[in-house]
Amino acid sequence: MGAIRKYLKILRISLVERLAYRADFFLTTFLRFLPLVTTFLLWEAIYTGSEKDEIAGFTRDKMIAYLLLVQISRMFSSMPGLSTGIARDIRDGNLKKYLLQPIDLLWYLLSYRGAHKIAYIATTALPYALLFFWFRDVFDLPGPWTWLAYFLSLVLAFLIGFFFEACIGIAGFWLLEVTSLMYIINIFTFFVSGQMFPLELLDQYPGAMEVLNALPFHYLAYFPAMVFLEKKQGDELILGLVIELAWAIALILVSRWMYRLGLRHYSAYGG
Amino acid sequence: MILRYLKLWFSLAKFSLLGEMAFRGNFVVKIVVELLWLGMLLVFNFTIFQQTTQIADWKVNEYLFFIGCYFTMGGLMEMLFLDNCNQFSDLVRTGDLDFFLLKPIDEQFLVSCKHIDWSCAPNILLGLGVMGYAFWLGEWELDFFKAVLLVVLFISGMGLAYGFMLLLMSASIWMMRNQSLFEMWWLFTTLMRYPREIFKGRFAEPTQLFFSFVVPIMLVTNVPARVMVKGLESSWLPWYAIGSALVVLGVSRWVFRAALQRYRSAGS
Repeated sequence: MGAIRKYLKILRISLVERLAYRADFFLTTFLRFLPLVTTFLLWEAIYTGSEKDEIAGFTRDKMIAYLLLVQISRMFSSMPGLSTGIARDIRDGNLKKYLLQPIDLLWYLLSYRGAHKIAYIATTALPYALLFFWFRDVFDLPGPWTWLAYFLSLVLAFLIGFFFEACIGIAGFWLLEVTSLMYIINIFTFFVSGQMFPLELLDQYPGAMEVLNALPFHYLAYFPAMVFLEKKQGDELILGLVIELAWAIALILVSRWMYRLGLRHYSAYGG
Repeated sequence: MILRYLKLWFSLAKFSLLGEMAFRGNFVVKIVVELLWLGMLLVFNFTIFQQTTQIADWKVNEYLFFIGCYFTMGGLMEMLFLDNCNQFSDLVRTGDLDFFLLKPIDEQFLVSCKHIDWSCAPNILLGLGVMGYAFWLGEWELDFFKAVLLVVLFISGMGLAYGFMLLLMSASIWMMRNQSLFEMWWLFTTLMRYPREIFKGRFAEPTQLFFSFVVPIMLVTNVPARVMVKGLESSWLPWYAIGSALVVLGVSRWVFRAALQRYRSAGS
């Protein structure tokens, strides 16, 4: 109980810290809509040019809904600065503050990120609500079970995103610098997570969908969006959620194992 | 005077290259990142063109040329200016800008051209490669006049982009905590990443007109790419692009100097 209170306190302090820079927050949030709007316009032009009602099983409306929903997915699953932060702590020797205090690095960072996400979602709720309201016609509101599955898929996406990046950060025990690696992974993830377009479009390349389905990345953006759009239903939905949960657990275990292994390797540079 | 600055720029470029070569691993990784990014853009492009024959009125090879043009332009901006401008807010916050102001060289030149990011040079080659490939696919004719026009419009596009970058950078003197120039630039240049013809609709069309003629960021890649693939459709738009580049360059210099007047050497 005491342990939970400790991490809840970290969550509260981090929340206050995040909200200190409100103006910055709002400005960049608004600017962030620009790429989204241009992507919509690009897809409009693609549908008009193709003279088709459906592309890869998506109508024009469903495509816009999908592109909006992947933003929500990424709101939960993207972890900017997490792995580079961990690697920096390892490199600078700052990691010892976690070793000297009765606090665990990964659980501490999870609470911190949780706060970051809550603050981010809270402060961007209004512009996003306006955007979703603007495009309300492209959505068919799903039933309560789909809502529940959607929420679950988002929470699991958060965990997969967090522990995947944590693993990369912990690799800093051996690599010291992971920034460049992270650049490559970010670009790769942007594509294979389905953030750029629905993965069904890649069906034309043989084997591409099978490979992507075998990786955890599509849970970061594509899968939650497809759940909301009710394109994953019944057994497919349940199986998807179970595999997502399995990936989350696997990544938690791998990150903890790597962390333990890394600590044996750690020599606390920086004095 | 111009010769002196050219010599100085070459020395700075040489010095930057030496610095870059000390971290060859980093150099290679950056190239891999850019290759991945371009590869992704191309896969996206080809995937889309499996579904449609044209985007707005841009056919597959024309759109490819546009992407090449954008990539080359982006590469040049990143190589020559972005890193310098990105560091400007740090110079202001720490007070290190003093060292720049004390030197007997134009401040704008020193602030925006000091470091050449050679790791972005391959982007330019990649972009040119894509442009060349699209050119070959399209079997377009290139006469001397068109080639000169393309080069002139490309340079004017760079002038426009540089002017806007300088304006965004100057804002950091007022804001002090402008740490997101890199992000702001990335978001702002979204507008030069697509053909302006895709902006159709009640709100998109006025937006397109605004960002083409009032804040003409959309002309940066659109005008040179369009002239190449569609020929000289309008006799005044290229002139407008060149004229606006000169105006934006002038205004940005004026704003930069005005911003320097407000600099209070915070850290010293």
